[in-house]
Amino acid sequence: MERLDPRVRPVWLTIAVIRAGFAGGFLVGGAAIVTESTDWTGGDVRLIWAAVAVAAFVLVFRVAVAWQRYRVWRFDVREDSLYIERGVFTRIKTVVPYVRLQHVDTQRGPVERSVGLATVVIYTAGSRSADVAIPGLDPERAEELREELRRLAIESEGEDAV
Amino acid sequence: MTEDHDTERETGSGDSPHSSGDEGVRPSDRTSTPEPSEGATRDDAPASGANDGPAPPNDEPETPPGAVSAGPKEQQLHPASVPYRSLSRSVSTGSLFFFIGIVASPGGAGANLVLIGAMVVVGILVGIAYEFAYYQRFRYRLTNDTFDVASGVVSRRDREVPLRRIQNVDVRQNVLQRALGIAAVHVETAGGGATEVTLQYVDETEARRLQRRLRDGPRERTENGEFPEDEADEEDEELLFEIQPNELAILSAFTIDPGASVLATIALSFASGFDPATLIPLDFIETDLPGTGLVAIAWAVLIFAVAAWVLSAALTFTRYYGFRLTRTNGELRYERGLLQRYSGTIPLEKVQTLTIKESVPFRWFGYGSLAVETAGYAPGQSGSRGAESAVPLAEAGRVRELARSVEPVEVPDLERSPRRARERYGVRYFLVVAALVAGSYALATTTDVVVDWYVTLVLLVLVPVAAHLKWTNRGFHLGDTYFFARTGFWRRTTKIVPHYRVQSVVYNQTIFQRRRRLASVTADTASSAAFFGRAGTAYDIDHGRALEVQRTLNERLQEQLRQRKHQRVLDRLATRDWSDEPMRDEATQDERDDERSSDTEDRGSLE
Repeated sequence: MERLDPRVRPVWLTIAVIRAGFAGGFLVGGAAIVTESTDWTGGDVRLIWAAVAVAAFVLVFRVAVAWQRYRVWRFDVREDSLYIERGVFTRIKTVVPYVRLQHVDTQRGPVERSVGLATVVIYTAGSRSADVAIPGLDPERAEELREELRRLAIESEGEDAV
Repeated sequence: MTEDHDTERETGSGDSPHSSGDEGVRPSDRTSTPEPSEGATRDDAPASGANDGPAPPNDEPETPPGAVSAGPKEQQLHPASVPYRSLSRSVSTGSLFFFIGIVASPGGAGANLVLIGAMVVVGILVGIAYEFAYYQRFRYRLTNDTFDVASGVVSRRDREVPLRRIQNVDVRQNVLQRALGIAAVHVETAGGGATEVTLQYVDETEARRLQRRLRDGPRERTENGEFPEDEADEEDEELLFEIQPNELAILSAFTIDPGASVLATIALSFASGFDPATLIPLDFIETDLPGTGLVAIAWAVLIFAVAAWVLSAALTFTRYYGFRLTRTNGELRYERGLLQRYSGTIPLEKVQTLTIKESVPFRWFGYGSLAVETAGYAPGQSGSRGAESAVPLAEAGRVRELARSVEPVEVPDLERSPRRARERYGVRYFLVVAALVAGSYALATTTDVVVDWYVTLVLLVLVPVAAHLKWTNRGFHLGDTYFFARTGFWRRTTKIVPHYRVQSVVYNQTIFQRRRRLASVTADTASSAAFFGRAGTAYDIDHGRALEVQRTLNERLQEQLRQRKHQRVLDRLATRDWSDEPMRDEATQDERDDERSSDTEDRGSLE
């Protein structure tokens, strides 16, 4: 079983902080607006503090989840299928047979790029888990994985992909 | 892009020299460069060499029904499609301008009205001109292994669909179209989100011919090197199912059509002249019953419910009126509809999943329904309701028999989830009831809308019953060639998934499931599942067993793929033996054909 590159942790933490920041900003901002318009609550400052508390909780929660996610994530390039294990709360284990691969992408988001990581996305014709992403890969490993999957998909050729 | 060479079940053409060329379209071979210029003339059949080639628009302003010969000749739409399309376009643009006009000039000033009227007329004229140009530009051609369509007024598009890739072909006709003798043809492949080809509109006999030819797949040469003519082959059509009046009645009475409530609202508001009070027999209320407020609301709700129900029944009735399911060599064909007539084909070798659905009122009468899912429609595609490939309602035994005729399988006894799953459902329902009780208690203490909050405690009695029903209606079975999964009490759905259709296997475990060592396993297929919505999932089974199921599903898939490959090699050898020396010429021809179809595929994927 292969783990992700440890550098993906700061990526996820950054994203978690950014998202929590947005959510918290909206919460606290909303609370402040409601408090300002005194005809509604009479300007109770406790509302703002409650919003701050919720925002702080969201931040801690998201960061904890992002931290934990790395420990759960693993994948395995098996003989006839790709195996992926992930999910902090809902544990998801996916088996994707190579015959079913439609195409494979490499993606690099802005945060990922800043630490030099890449994501490989695998597409099948399925209806539910039609695309599976393996994040946090060294670009070389991503390239290698993509090539490997492509080779394996062609090797298991001959059958209709649907 | 998908590939389908299921020679094993393809009764129509599996034993032909063409199957020997299957290798030509595998992904690794798709590197040859597209040759757009050659596509138009290369594939001409000797049989109809005289009238080949792209016809200039003015040569054949009309397509007489008799002229639909076998040759790959370019064909136009039915001329009646110009007025019909113009009319439907005019109605929509006209009403659009009409509403804009109403909004823009509430006072109805004369000058404004004239201006708006002029705009409407101009809009309609432009629409008619566009439709005429559309008709002039639209050309389609059925070659021996592709279906080519050239269309577009402003931006032009040439599309070639390899016949092998076609998943579904539907023909739709509404009342007006039936009077005009025209029909719309929709061709679906597995790729892309929308319908790949839409012919609006062709002659109805032509539509049926196209449907038959498109579903037959690539055409084979006969012994004297010619392609066979179209034979009017209705002969081996086997009637599988025809909806009975009582089935239609039950279906109409108990189906809740989501559109009906909207329609009922509109109809009621028109009927009452935008004043709901007129619908309520006020004099009756005033004389007999005090407390008119609540009673009036009750009346309104009742009238609305009845109106929605009647409309829903009427819609369902017209939708499934005259439902017939027949089978012609390796293909299911259905027809239905009173006002809007639908007919579609489902190639048996492209079936992804079978779904048997037994919803509650129907199950009590001993009825169920069957859906045959293919990969033809993209998930969430809104228009796909028109072509759903299902037997809407039939007696349970007939449903099983029909399922058997599609996939030779009987639904076995299913493996139950462990008892701790039932506890889980009990806890879940208990929490729901507890929340309800708490909510009503809060309402009772703070307001005086609710008084007897403790009445909701009665619901607690239902908790164990509901948990048990949910538990007993769930189950799965891992067969040698099929995976069965059942769930749902109100809408009990049993999915039958052939192992070799599995796209991926997903093991899912929430934190609540983890506490009880349970997990769910989903066998995902490429089925569009637009109608029944769910993939085949075994819910809340022991997590060790779940891992085992996941592993086994993958193993069986691989095993079946090996078998099918083996079978194909055998088939190929068998056909080689038959063809031998004199057929050499033809083999090269086939190779060329396949090369071509892989070209066209590339071109198709560029769109």
